[in-house]
Amino acid sequence: MPVEIPVEQWPGRVIEETLGATPAEGGTRSRVVKVGGENTLPFMLTDGEMPNPPRIAIEILDQRPKDWSPLLLEAWGDVVDDPAKWAKAAEEAGADLVLLQLSLTRDGGKPTTAADAKALTRAVLQATGLPILVFGPGQVDADNELLVAVAEEAAGERIVLGICEEKNYRTIVAAALANGHLVNGRTAMDVNLAKQLNILIADMGLPLDRIIMDPTTASLGYGIEYGYSVMERLRLAALQGDKMTQLPMLVTPGFEAWRQKEAKVGEGVPASWGDWRQRAVLWETLTATNLILSGADIVVLRHPETVKRVRAFIDRMMAK
Amino acid sequence: MSRYIATRAIRGANAIVAEAEALLQKALAEKGPDTPVAFTNTAYYLPVIYGMLGHPVSKIGDMVPVLEHAKSLLHPPPDEKWWVPYLGETLDCGMATLLAEEIIEGIRFAYGEQPERYPGFRMTGSASFTSPEFEKEEGGGGYLNGPIDDIQLRSWGIQLVDGRMPGFAAIVGAARNNRAAVAIVRELQRRNILVFLCGNVNGRSIIDQLHEEGVEMGYDTYIVPFGRDTIAAIYPLGFATRSALTFGGLKPGQWREILLYNKYRVFAFVLALGEVDDLKYATAAGAISYGFPVIADTVIPQILPTGITRYEHVISMPWEEIEGETDEEKAARLVQKCIEVRGVKVKITEVPIPVPYGSAFEGEVVRKADMRVEFGGRASRAFEYLRMVPMDQVEDGKIEVIGPGFEDVPVGGAMDLGILVEVAGRKMQEDFEPVLERQIHYFINGASGVQHIGQRDIAWIRISKAAAEKGFNLRHFGDILYARFHADFGAIVDKVQVKIITDPALHAEWLQKAREAYDRRNRRLADLTDEAVDTFYSCVLCQSFAPTHCCVISPQRLGLCGAYNWLDCKASYEINPTGPNQPIQKGQCLDPVKGYFTGVNEYVRVASQGTVDQVAMYSIMENPMTACGCFECIVMVIPEANGVMVVSREDPSMTPAGMTFSTLAGMAGGGLQTPGVMGVGKYYLTSPKFLSADGGFKRVVWMSSFLKQTMAEELKAVCEREGDPDLLDKIADETVCTDVEGLLAYLTEKEHPALTMPPIF
Repeated sequence: MPVEIPVEQWPGRVIEETLGATPAEGGTRSRVVKVGGENTLPFMLTDGEMPNPPRIAIEILDQRPKDWSPLLLEAWGDVVDDPAKWAKAAEEAGADLVLLQLSLTRDGGKPTTAADAKALTRAVLQATGLPILVFGPGQVDADNELLVAVAEEAAGERIVLGICEEKNYRTIVAAALANGHLVNGRTAMDVNLAKQLNILIADMGLPLDRIIMDPTTASLGYGIEYGYSVMERLRLAALQGDKMTQLPMLVTPGFEAWRQKEAKVGEGVPASWGDWRQRAVLWETLTATNLILSGADIVVLRHPETVKRVRAFIDRMMAK
Repeated sequence: MSRYIATRAIRGANAIVAEAEALLQKALAEKGPDTPVAFTNTAYYLPVIYGMLGHPVSKIGDMVPVLEHAKSLLHPPPDEKWWVPYLGETLDCGMATLLAEEIIEGIRFAYGEQPERYPGFRMTGSASFTSPEFEKEEGGGGYLNGPIDDIQLRSWGIQLVDGRMPGFAAIVGAARNNRAAVAIVRELQRRNILVFLCGNVNGRSIIDQLHEEGVEMGYDTYIVPFGRDTIAAIYPLGFATRSALTFGGLKPGQWREILLYNKYRVFAFVLALGEVDDLKYATAAGAISYGFPVIADTVIPQILPTGITRYEHVISMPWEEIEGETDEEKAARLVQKCIEVRGVKVKITEVPIPVPYGSAFEGEVVRKADMRVEFGGRASRAFEYLRMVPMDQVEDGKIEVIGPGFEDVPVGGAMDLGILVEVAGRKMQEDFEPVLERQIHYFINGASGVQHIGQRDIAWIRISKAAAEKGFNLRHFGDILYARFHADFGAIVDKVQVKIITDPALHAEWLQKAREAYDRRNRRLADLTDEAVDTFYSCVLCQSFAPTHCCVISPQRLGLCGAYNWLDCKASYEINPTGPNQPIQKGQCLDPVKGYFTGVNEYVRVASQGTVDQVAMYSIMENPMTACGCFECIVMVIPEANGVMVVSREDPSMTPAGMTFSTLAGMAGGGLQTPGVMGVGKYYLTSPKFLSADGGFKRVVWMSSFLKQTMAEELKAVCEREGDPDLLDKIADETVCTDVEGLLAYLTEKEHPALTMPPIF
């Protein structure tokens, strides 16, 4: 008996955004990466289209991470001492994008300077041909100083600057405006706050196709339901036609999963939790795949094995 | 528009375009059309021409069509006898002037005459990267700045866009004397406003004046000397044009968008010092197209209506007539006026008092034993009164203590105090007075060692011994209020002054005035009915945890949390137009009794993501308003009693519904419409619109005793209004009964009106 599958059509569509610029477009990237553009819920390819699969960014730090799980350090090896090598390794590990996370201080506790930030950005841009994202340390003054320098150094490359928050977005947006970049706007798991920040950023004159929203999320077992629900509602609002929510979403399951003890530590936990290596990668993978199912367009990951698994998941879900 | 100004501007434009034409002819003859023309260190060619016309000028010949365009914008001066509209003509001529001026500067560059030579002049600091090729002579000096380079444009542009720099002042001419020149510039610097200098009066420029006084000029000091003639005013406008191209994402040739970008986003103004000649009027007409108003320190006709600029176009503030003993005082007032006219907002980040300040100290209690002095309470009278006054009656930042301080009051003693806050603002409304006045409580409480209770004329403030020892005195109340009103309410308040009154006679006088104002406000609130307005407000603050709930707040139905009434929402929307309180146009009234409005239904449908289709504003039985979880009270139908009960959050007891408040909360909250159950703010009980579709307050058969006690007076008034003065006694509470049988017995005994009202179902 033939079964007719009901088709749900939505009036709205997520904006398609382009990260990175090739030499023809004024940058030096070997290719651009497009995100967003879907007019249906994730992978509902019978209802609508999803022109771009969810993208994977790998997070690298500007120096050897101090508080990362030994499993991550073991997986990456010595490249963590050199952001340029790390960026190259991330590209080889299968990333679509590289996210450079700047720290507040450099070796010996000296504050990271604008010159450091420029040099780091330049080094990463030279080491990889992928589009990049650069996030500041997350402290207002430092972010504003460093990201303005980063924006200048990467002028024309269409990088993503982060993180814009309601209390501090103006300088970063101005730097993006002046140098042709995108911004990542983060709000604390709330539909209306996310929407409001998008409006505020757009009010400064940054076109919507240069704003990515980061609704913040949580790890598996630590409130992922809440983040999932907020992202789902944002996406439903976007598909229903609410312009100010029609932006691609970026979330950081790598950061979230690896700060929980299930992933981070191998000792002092119940034996019934099973093999640490397996568990840690599973934790990050499941966090990421769940968030992709709730509408994430970019997931920022940490472990190369997770990248492989999430990639396999995306490929299978996208298969016609 | 002033015909005088129009005439002079149009005359000036005709003259400068003719001058540009002559110069261009000469340059074409002497240098030829292929001679390169460029401003230094910019990728924007001649920026005003490039922005307005989309025409890149890179050689002398490229200027020919630009000049033709300028000529086409010229008009004859207005006729002496027959007046026809001349605003458009004047603005056209202003634009023609700018094009001509940029042509002239461009040609001067080609001749090596720009930047302007100024023997003995040296720019401070890192200005050297402007035009390194001009650094060779005279030990690196000898030139004024000329156009700002692109690197500096970006660096300052970011600060202008993100708000760290409020704007720029283009000063044209020369001040009355050197001291006045320095005072004006310092006053601007103090406010982080970029200072651009050009022009002269009878050959003397403000650049000369500052140079003689040893004021450092250059990028590092935010003072840029462009040139000593009026034509150099094209550089600030080039800067403005490039800002729009760089930060507004605009393309060359989008002249309208570029001008609007400047009007709304670049807070610049022209300060004309000294005599204004034809060319200055013409250039000013060009600046006005950018939305930049002109403030002159001489007597010139004013153009006060708004339009091309956001507020006034031209303001005359003759230096001799400015109040003030010294040049510094006059300069402060002049600059303050400029800021008002352009709508530049002041930013204050710190509260300058000798004790720690922050919301963490809000709940602090100062006990009698720790107290240095108190105002209000039993032993003295304190009041606080905030009122709106006209702009020119407020001196921003002025804080006065009128009368003695508390030094002579014995430790632990009391004294009378009055706090009078006077605010002015272009978006200020009298309706916002009580909203702002209520903030005084939170603002003053933020100081460590200071306790504030109450409001209006029942305010009660204590200062601890520790705070007094650290030097906290009466003046600091003013410092706190000034800083916080600017920081938190800058969107509606432009100027704030505070008077702290302890002088007995003045205290009595102002207490009387304050009471009259409170009375006026009370009457205004009573008059403020749902029928009297066409806008309600939404509140979606709680959607973070109740995603489909949306409060609809009307004058007669405040938010269910009790924290937001209609006036609060109105003010909140002015302060934060993208925030959680948005205006809802009532639209068509579909049912005045139940309170159905087309606008409300449409808004709620969207805001609840389609969950709630319609809302009856005045009924609990049919499509009642949803609730988040923050309600002060729960109203629930008791079918047996043909009425409703009201349970307050403070009441932990059992209720006739067989559930306690916390159990009921699960039914009332979460953004669901449950007929018969509703979460409300307690002051909604006193509204004539309380359940008005279902019979009103007479339906209340049971009510937590906490409400009966704390709202005794207000509820008594409601009972009288409802025509049943003894109604409150007929309403049961948890001390009478917590079950339906007991309730019915009590109601019957008291002959409660609900028993004989039409069935509630």
